[in-house]
Amino acid sequence: MSNNSWFKIFVLILTLSWSGSALSSSEKPLRIAVASNFTPVLKKLLIEFHQQTNIATQIISGATGVLFLQIKHGAPFDIFIAADSTRPLQLEQQNLVLTNSRKTYARGQLALLSMNSAAQLNDLKKVPQRFAIANPNTAPYGKAAKQTLAHLNLWSRYQSKLIQGINVNQTFAQIRSQAVNSGLVANSQLVLNNLSGAIIPLSYHQPIAQQLVIIKSSKNINEAKRLSDYLLSAAVQKKIIRFGYAKFTDGVLNITKAGS
Amino acid sequence: MTLNLNFKINLNPFNLSIKHELSLQGITGIFGHSGSGKSTLLRAIAGLERNINGSIILDDIFLIDSNDNTFVKAEQRHIGLVFQDTRLFPHLNVLDNLKFAAKRCQNRRLDFNEVINLTELGSLLHKHVDELSGGQKQRVSLARAILTEPKLLLLDEPLSALDRQAKINLLRLMLKVQRELQLPMLYVSHSLDELQQVCDKLLVLSKGKVIGYGGIHHMIHQLNYSQNETSADDFIHQQTSLSLPIKTLNNGHGLAVLSLSSSLSECVDIYLPALGEKSVQISEKTNEQTLRCFILASDISISLSEPLNSSIVNHLSAEISSVNIKGNNVLITAKCNEQEFFVNISIFSQQKLALRVGQSVYLQFKAGAVRTYLY
Amino acid sequence: MINPDLLALYTTLKMAALTTVILLLIGTPLAWFLAKMQSRFKVIIEAIVALPLVLPPTVLGFYLLIAFSPQYLPGELWQQATGQQLAFSFSAIVIGSVLYSMPFVVQPLQKAFEQLGEPLLEAGAMLGAGPMDRFFNIVLPITKASFITAASLGFAHTVGEFGVILMIGGNIPGETRVLSIALFDHVESFDYAKAHILAISLLAGSMVLLSAIYLLNRPSKKIVQRGRNDS
Repeated sequence: MSNNSWFKIFVLILTLSWSGSALSSSEKPLRIAVASNFTPVLKKLLIEFHQQTNIATQIISGATGVLFLQIKHGAPFDIFIAADSTRPLQLEQQNLVLTNSRKTYARGQLALLSMNSAAQLNDLKKVPQRFAIANPNTAPYGKAAKQTLAHLNLWSRYQSKLIQGINVNQTFAQIRSQAVNSGLVANSQLVLNNLSGAIIPLSYHQPIAQQLVIIKSSKNINEAKRLSDYLLSAAVQKKIIRFGYAKFTDGVLNITKAGS
Repeated sequence: MTLNLNFKINLNPFNLSIKHELSLQGITGIFGHSGSGKSTLLRAIAGLERNINGSIILDDIFLIDSNDNTFVKAEQRHIGLVFQDTRLFPHLNVLDNLKFAAKRCQNRRLDFNEVINLTELGSLLHKHVDELSGGQKQRVSLARAILTEPKLLLLDEPLSALDRQAKINLLRLMLKVQRELQLPMLYVSHSLDELQQVCDKLLVLSKGKVIGYGGIHHMIHQLNYSQNETSADDFIHQQTSLSLPIKTLNNGHGLAVLSLSSSLSECVDIYLPALGEKSVQISEKTNEQTLRCFILASDISISLSEPLNSSIVNHLSAEISSVNIKGNNVLITAKCNEQEFFVNISIFSQQKLALRVGQSVYLQFKAGAVRTYLY
Repeated sequence: MINPDLLALYTTLKMAALTTVILLLIGTPLAWFLAKMQSRFKVIIEAIVALPLVLPPTVLGFYLLIAFSPQYLPGELWQQATGQQLAFSFSAIVIGSVLYSMPFVVQPLQKAFEQLGEPLLEAGAMLGAGPMDRFFNIVLPITKASFITAASLGFAHTVGEFGVILMIGGNIPGETRVLSIALFDHVESFDYAKAHILAISLLAGSMVLLSAIYLLNRPSKKIVQRGRNDS
């Protein structure tokens, strides 16, 4: 091929690329940044939300930590549905979110999953060779897992056996692929995948409050508020619990404080 | 054409330092041993060396002058260069290699097909360059350089990678091109035999310095005295270098006859093996047929009386003009009809015959001792 | 509404194509400069170019995220110049990809230029060809294979890029949501069926693309023959 025709191809690609990017930036749907372990649930809930409100949405799914970092640096999201309460609180303290928009929309439920047999709570007392939990320092379900083991006075015996996932999704994948036989994961993961495990009593750890916030710089604040209201409505809350999240027995206010 | 060199280049073992004016007509040879700086000199003239201190002036044009930062780029000098390693473009065939040059030539005085005929490339045009023999490649390289219609053509050891027959062919081609295009050439070589055949003048370099510049035969004779035998590589055959008019190419007895004439005395004939037409050169000055040849000093012997009853065909009456003794070897210079001949004999013979300056002797050598590289 | 995975495919191809073009435009002079450079700073520049090979993508992505955000100078300058935010835009992931895939384009080109050396360029100059003329009519045709290698490596590496885009892209459909991230999303949300389809099509597409490039780039019969003669 001659140099000339290569050059023409370059120009063509350049032209196409810029024109393409100009086209795609014209529409502005509601951009929902959502923690990846809540994404499947949110997708199902949005079907009804869309029917009711006719609001167009765009799901941006990612790890809570990454989404938090991106929002901090100006990511153009409207609402942030996190998997914990720490990051929403930090955003609030940094004055990046709409006042009074921080709400707990779900409460995480920890579960013991074993791929060998139907897991029993008592199984925890037999310390296995390997045991998967999410990173206790960064992942809310990991923190709860550590508290659970400490509550049962098993933490020191488990410490050398732990395989730590970046987040609870990785931990779940490690167990499901049978790379590790058992571990503590989110109950919602079991529900979504039609698996059964042993529910960890809520009294074993501090509550896993999952919070949402509306981003201050959003140009879709009204739509974001409607989504927030929708998710917190009694009907939807029931649905969320059916997806494997815990019930609000202690009241919202209390749980909100637990995050700080 | 005048080339004025006055510059210095730092080379590793020594500096190339030249201050000389060359008058470029015909083919000027540049001789020196490897590492003498001759290729660097050529590259400096071509514009491929940047770190030059001084100036190079070609016909009043400053190609380089470090004093006022003048540097004419290689592509703007109108100088051609034939490289030792041909440097044909591997992505182009022969025709396209030649066109590459022709397209970038502004004058277009030369006819493309004429150059192809001159260099006998007609049958190779559509061959890929890697299908060519060494000699063919160098012919393409020469044709390519000519097609840029340079003012001056530089040749950097163009023959060194070729076999003997290819060397002969290319030397003939160089002479033909020079004659037809009247293109001045600077021809770098470490082979005195090749230079002797084609050059009109010779510049001799040693360790980055010019140690001699003059007519080809004169310079070769000068080199006879500066013989040093420090290494086999540096060895130069002491010789008598000649360009003589041809009387007969073949006298019917397998011999050709040259005449060693002089205004003062009668004509002396020199016999050598019969010649083919191709070895003949036409002298530019007299337009007569001449032959470039040489006789090694070790091939000539000296007799005090005329060796009439000898099978050796050439015997010339001469007068010894110098006797140079170096160890056991003696270099005798004898003049016959103003022509110097160089004879190498042992100190034993020199003492036995009591040879001295001014003595009249007979020089004798076989027909086969008269050698010509192109033959 | 358009299938989100197809949209991601489109975004990916657009990003990779644009990145490749920019990389060739920037990488060629850079590689040339490095091949000809003799200064001791050469090593430092080479190391900087090769940095993305050692630096974990998410680390590179993190620092790019900071640099691109409007709070810091590069992002601020961009915003002043274009009126748009750099971080989380299509431009951001293209710039990120250019930096991240740089060694894959610069290194093969640099090697090719070094291998080509001066001899043929000097021959070109002696025939009256200036620098640009020499580049387009000697360097480019002789090193064509290396350009194709560089472009295909740059393109393929950009298609497979994940960590940097994850950080600076923001996963916005039609803008910064590319195939690798869409795939990751499917895995994260337990949508394994979609993940498998995407993975298989990504794999098949890459295979077809790379095979086509290597097929185009296959030495012709003549060159094979030449190789034999040389030996």
